[in-house]
Amino acid sequence: MMTFSLSFNGTEHRRPSRLGRVLEDRLPYLIVAPAILVLLLVGLFPLIYSLIVSFQRITMTDNDTSFAGLLNYAELFRDTRLWASLGHTAIITAIALPLELLIGFLMAQLFIDRMPGRQLFVALLVLPTVISPIVAGATWRLLFDVRFGPIGEILSFFAGEPIRILWTVNPAYVYPAIIICEVWQWSPFMFLLLLAALSNVDQSQLEAAEIDGASYLRVLRAIILPAIAPVIAVACLIRGLDLVRIFDIIWALTEGGPGSMTETISLYTYVQGFSQFETSYTAAISFLVIALLTLITTLVLKRMEIAR
Amino acid sequence: MKFRTLLGVAAILALTGVSAPAADKDAADIAVEAAKKYAGTTISIVWEAGLQSLDPLNYSGPKWEKLTGIKVKVVEVPTDQMFTKIMQDFKSGAGAYDALNVIPSWMPDLAGAGALEPLDKYVDKFGYRDELQDIAAAYRDNQMQYDGKIFGFPDDGDVMLLYYRKDIFEDPKMKEGFKAKFGYELAPPKDWKQLDDIGQFITDKMAPKVYGAGFFRTAPYPQYMFQERFRMEGGKFFNADTMKSTVNSDVGLKVFKQMLAENKFMPPGVEQWNFVDNLAAFLQGTTAMTISWPPYGRWAAGYGSGEEALKWVPKSQVAGKVGYALTPLGRPELGVGFDLSVSATSKNKEAAYLFIQWLNSKKTSLERVQLPYTLRDPFRLSHYASEKYRALWPDAPAYLDTIKTSGEKGLLDLSLLQQDKYDEAMTKAISSLWAGEDPKTILDRMAQQFDAITEKVGIENQKAVYKVWAAKPGAYPQ
Repeated sequence: MMTFSLSFNGTEHRRPSRLGRVLEDRLPYLIVAPAILVLLLVGLFPLIYSLIVSFQRITMTDNDTSFAGLLNYAELFRDTRLWASLGHTAIITAIALPLELLIGFLMAQLFIDRMPGRQLFVALLVLPTVISPIVAGATWRLLFDVRFGPIGEILSFFAGEPIRILWTVNPAYVYPAIIICEVWQWSPFMFLLLLAALSNVDQSQLEAAEIDGASYLRVLRAIILPAIAPVIAVACLIRGLDLVRIFDIIWALTEGGPGSMTETISLYTYVQGFSQFETSYTAAISFLVIALLTLITTLVLKRMEIAR
Repeated sequence: MKFRTLLGVAAILALTGVSAPAADKDAADIAVEAAKKYAGTTISIVWEAGLQSLDPLNYSGPKWEKLTGIKVKVVEVPTDQMFTKIMQDFKSGAGAYDALNVIPSWMPDLAGAGALEPLDKYVDKFGYRDELQDIAAAYRDNQMQYDGKIFGFPDDGDVMLLYYRKDIFEDPKMKEGFKAKFGYELAPPKDWKQLDDIGQFITDKMAPKVYGAGFFRTAPYPQYMFQERFRMEGGKFFNADTMKSTVNSDVGLKVFKQMLAENKFMPPGVEQWNFVDNLAAFLQGTTAMTISWPPYGRWAAGYGSGEEALKWVPKSQVAGKVGYALTPLGRPELGVGFDLSVSATSKNKEAAYLFIQWLNSKKTSLERVQLPYTLRDPFRLSHYASEKYRALWPDAPAYLDTIKTSGEKGLLDLSLLQQDKYDEAMTKAISSLWAGEDPKTILDRMAQQFDAITEKVGIENQKAVYKVWAAKPGAYPQ
């Protein structure tokens, strides 16, 4: 094997052997290999196993584990409750996400200027996000309660007559109840991200625009929004994915009711898997959701051009 | 020894009981004696999380350990996860559980899958068959066997009772006014029309201080009320020949409309009431009638109010004022209930069996059903007759007599393969009813869901299970 020497700063180094060079080239891969292996074991193995399960006939109540082919996937297309639950998820996401973004942005605008006690107010505003969603749901259930809840009292005070709204029973109010709770809990998350983004907007551009007499809307459209667009995109993506997975708040507030009116895809998957014991079918639902989310996420990333 | 001397000695021995010590022993003592050989082992038992598990945790578990040296590990599981946990343990073959609490309507699934150990051989080996006869017929005949074999011992006298405010019902002004308006005496309602009359009358006279009635309306409770009323009005769940669901019949529609209409004389927001909401309203005196399981009666009387575990129960404002009666039409739903079973994958089957025999025995169960905090209700003839129990509060005799009669007439919960799916369809349907959806539409959808479930399970399989269920004395009113 041929070797030769190189000299740097008067120090002589031996050029490594071919094996050494190969090892040196592959070193980064060798270093990360154990981590990749662990990730594959804990991440990919369950995924592959559940994919296999989705092609079987496993339920909790009998011993049949035979191959079912595409039966479970064909069943997905006939399952009206599944598609309804996807619809409910889409409705909640489509309403809550823009609201959270808007409220978060407005709050961030309010707090962008330094003022006494700003840190304390920010900390207080962020408080809802640190509460467990199931607790948030249970709390709002109490707030909405027709007997003990203060919301009814407040509305009655302003209306001048008793107002008794069955927030979690009446179909006209059940979505507003969920959206109010969801927006209350997660707008502060948007607020935090957008506050950080707004703080980094180039001040010289803003000052120049002010000197030029540009209107606020013009400044917003031409300077602020382009500057914070990547943060908005990431925030929407994170919250959008969270909203698609929404479970706890709805479980605590309505349990998917009345009837199945607010049953989201997560709730339906839970019911199929852990109440109806349809193990293989639940796996098929999960893969449908994964496929849909992959598609939507890819499209969103492409659209927002943040995948690069 | 001469024959006559031998005969005399035998007679003396027989009279003094020396020759047959086992005959003196009851099933509890037999279980304790037999279990001593397993001293030092630990058995696990699945029990409902919450108040219920205070029985094995605080009372029966420690007592069993003291008597036999066998430790009891209580695995607390929320009710809605018990079936899953039991099946998961069985399917994996892990044998993590030895003894089980099983809801009787799960029996076709659990016993059919082989998850439960048949108990007949143990029952005979440890002389328990006679004591089983002391269990009230409603539970013994309906909740103990599957396919002719014993898989569980009924251990909880769950049955719906009607509770009413005696002070209001006996108030001369109320009695007079009611008689004048409706032409019959104010008394616990015999049918649902009477319940409507009485409920509306009291609400008109006393609301918002007191409303005529309040019922729990959130999942899963109202489906038991629906099951009872639907059958008592003449409804059948299925056509026994085709297994097509018939819940969307005129009877179903009538019951749904009645249930919805009742909310009008109940407190505002009753549609959101769960077990505790309903309990609180009745104990605080804001509802004059309610229907629920037996613990309501004990707590309304103030029994166990000093218990730390019952601090969440509102202090009863109606102690001494509560009457007990059969539900309208006189055949109340048994509603859930619990069996004690042994896991088929247990590694300590005999020890587990002996523990549940001891728990379920006349002697031990009488103590357990008097524990104020554990939600175990009287289920044996000897419980109903117990002088000790009947002396616990002034109206305890009436309470026990009503439970006894209700138990004798009780209607069994529907129990088919994959019963949870039918239960869920009923629960969702009733939830839609409170939301104001058209009752006929809801019932048609429920029937479609029933049919889809039946088809998926297999019509012939389900037909066979339904046939066995429908032939039980508590399935349909005769």
